[in-house]
Amino acid sequence: MATARPGWSRRAQLGLFISFLALIAGVIVGLILLGLSLVAPKTFEGVRGAALDATAPVTSALHEVTDTVGGMFTGAGNYWDAAHQNSKLKRERAQMVQQIIRAKAVLQENLQLKAALQLRERTSDTVATGRIVGSSFNSPRRFAILSAGRSDGVRIGMPVRSPDGLVGRVIDSGMLASRILLVSDRANIVPARLLRGGIPVISQGRGDGTVDIRPLEVGRNPFRRGDIIVTSGTGGLYPPLVPIARVVKLDDDGAIGMPLADPATTSFAIVEPAFEPAATADTPAAQDAP
Amino acid sequence: MVRAALASKRRIGQGPVPFAMAVPAASVVAATLLSSLPIISNVGWFPDFGFLVLVSWRLLRSDPWPAWWTIPLGLVNDLFTGAPIGLSIALWSATMLALDLVDRRTMWRGYWTEWMVAAVLLAIDELIQWKIAAVMGASVPFRAMVPPFLVSVCVFPLAAWLVSRIDRWRLGQ
Repeated sequence: MATARPGWSRRAQLGLFISFLALIAGVIVGLILLGLSLVAPKTFEGVRGAALDATAPVTSALHEVTDTVGGMFTGAGNYWDAAHQNSKLKRERAQMVQQIIRAKAVLQENLQLKAALQLRERTSDTVATGRIVGSSFNSPRRFAILSAGRSDGVRIGMPVRSPDGLVGRVIDSGMLASRILLVSDRANIVPARLLRGGIPVISQGRGDGTVDIRPLEVGRNPFRRGDIIVTSGTGGLYPPLVPIARVVKLDDDGAIGMPLADPATTSFAIVEPAFEPAATADTPAAQDAP
Repeated sequence: MVRAALASKRRIGQGPVPFAMAVPAASVVAATLLSSLPIISNVGWFPDFGFLVLVSWRLLRSDPWPAWWTIPLGLVNDLFTGAPIGLSIALWSATMLALDLVDRRTMWRGYWTEWMVAAVLLAIDELIQWKIAAVMGASVPFRAMVPPFLVSVCVFPLAAWLVSRIDRWRLGQ
């Protein structure tokens, strides 16, 4: 195809023309498929899940290797300065015990109050636990690959959290692995509130590992550095009171937060059922969710 | 001495490797599969390996694979990188078309020309990814797309070198 005419051969000229047509057909097919996946993203659920399954075993196995190597280095680092660390941990533990006792008392009081108000308590079951084994490191979107899939009960739309905080929600699920839309993705908008004061805010990813936090009511900037943002449960997708981020920087009408659950260091991620099943009921995949 | 210098380095019986025709496409798929490496990053600054290798092959040879193969190659890239299906199919086919047109226009080629052409194509690739992300509700600020673009432009010579090595290997030269 380097020259306009490959010579006098009729066959070669025809071949050139057909390959030209093939490329134009490729562009058209691609645009149609792209339009379909933008307008009706659920069309390709099955095939995307299958692709996830195809690479999941390799990714998981390689992750074990990198994890082990990384663990050896951090493990060696922990031995260094162990005595100092030990005394620090002991002090922290003593403080923690006091706090736990206080929290237990509050919890009991809370239970009594809730019983008095006859509030229905939703149990937060764990659907599955998995490891975060990969991420979309060459795209403007922030996705992660979780090593738990449809066979473990993971369905599209389920929230994913780690012991530290909210990780994101499931957007593709294969049999063995699923793709998570991370909290730091630009398209992931989480209704939240300030832990201090309970002011309703909205958290939206910035695509670079941090989140944008904006108060719902315009006015004075309610944030302080170090504030913790937790989910509010509004919208019914995410369970309430899951920590999302810590405020690290203030700007004119909001703040920038660092997600508490860093996918790179999260060892285990927990998939939970959608808090209000109605929130994902419009997706057929979520209807048969347990 | 003179005789040895004049003698062809090619030895008898050393021809193209089996399936030499499929090697370029296979290397593009292999590059695409690099995105399933267990790298967990908070920013998407890594280059688009599949696209880099595709452009490198096309700049090296005018017909690395039958033209319609870009459709399955693009589909594989979309499936494994998590991009919306159809994005790479359209973009990669359009890239091949654009390079056909460039081939008709350019009088001569050189490293710098090729690098420039590749940089323009990579810029268009990043721009379209950015646009599509915005359409899908993730309107990332534009300056966030500059580092991945610079990284991929810097990685291009390496990809081109690798591809030329693979090409020589597959043809048994």
